[in-house]
Amino acid sequence: MFQQVFALLIIVFFLTRLINQKKKNQITKNESIFWFIFWILAALAVIFLKTIDKVVAALGFSGSGINFLLYIAVMILFYFIFKMRLKMVKIEKDITNITREVALRK
Amino acid sequence: MKVFCVIPAYNEARSIVSVVGRVKPLVDEVIVVDDHSSDKTLELAQKTGAIVLHHIINRGQGAALQTGNDYALRHGADIIVHFDADGQFLAEEIKDIVQPIKNNQADIVFGSRFLGKKSNLPKFKKNIIMPLAKLINKVFFNINLSDPQNGFRAMSALVASEIRIENDGMAHCNEILIKSFKNKYRIQEVPITVIYHEFGQKFSGGIRIIKDLIYKKLTK
Repeated sequence: MFQQVFALLIIVFFLTRLINQKKKNQITKNESIFWFIFWILAALAVIFLKTIDKVVAALGFSGSGINFLLYIAVMILFYFIFKMRLKMVKIEKDITNITREVALRK
Repeated sequence: MKVFCVIPAYNEARSIVSVVGRVKPLVDEVIVVDDHSSDKTLELAQKTGAIVLHHIINRGQGAALQTGNDYALRHGADIIVHFDADGQFLAEEIKDIVQPIKNNQADIVFGSRFLGKKSNLPKFKKNIIMPLAKLINKVFFNINLSDPQNGFRAMSALVASEIRIENDGMAHCNEILIKSFKNKYRIQEVPITVIYHEFGQKFSGGIRIIKDLIYKKLTK
């Protein structure tokens, strides 16, 4: 119970930060919507942890719900790293094009 | 036929003047692409009378070659030669590498260290790295050349305009090969000599090439 309350407090902290950032126009609308949904889902997962335990057991996984959430989180992180890497490659390509254009103009 | 020689240079202050000096009398135009060297490569190259293009950020050999290609194409090159700035190739062999294109027997010509002429290749490179690179090219790209990792090559203007080098790093060697085979150009290999001052591409470099090729494929 204490852990759940603690996790929810952390989520509330991130949500307030998110709202502040949006107010200051530091993030785009789409990005703020994405993170808002993300934290709400995280809060729901924390609140309904017992239900997730049951669902996970019904699906045949041996671990508890919180373990399952952790696996999902790691998978999502890997996906984000991969996406970020691809984005970086694209940015590198743009830098090369700009460098080339400058070299050819002189 | 106008022959342009593109020499990508990164920290080649020791050799750039002599390399340009040897190449210049043999071609119509020499283009040195300084890839943001931290030594005096840029200043020294400018004194040679060659056309010098300067990358304001270091982007890698592949990027420098494409910059040189772009310049050559915009200024009426018929044949573009790629030549290293470290003095490991022999300038007098440029005529051998452009000849098949001049004779209309090939669209792109690759130099090869394994076709008769003597090159003092380090043993590890000759017996381990090169066969491995050849095997990867054969298995994954169906490319069968005696020396797939050679930077000495010549191409017609048409080929240069159709092949855009997208790999900024060392993977451009494979990229040019892959695109040449894919576009079904007439390909020839000519024997060349390589004088090794240093080891050149290391094993880790080979791994990086494979990684770069995969990422390039994914970001298409």
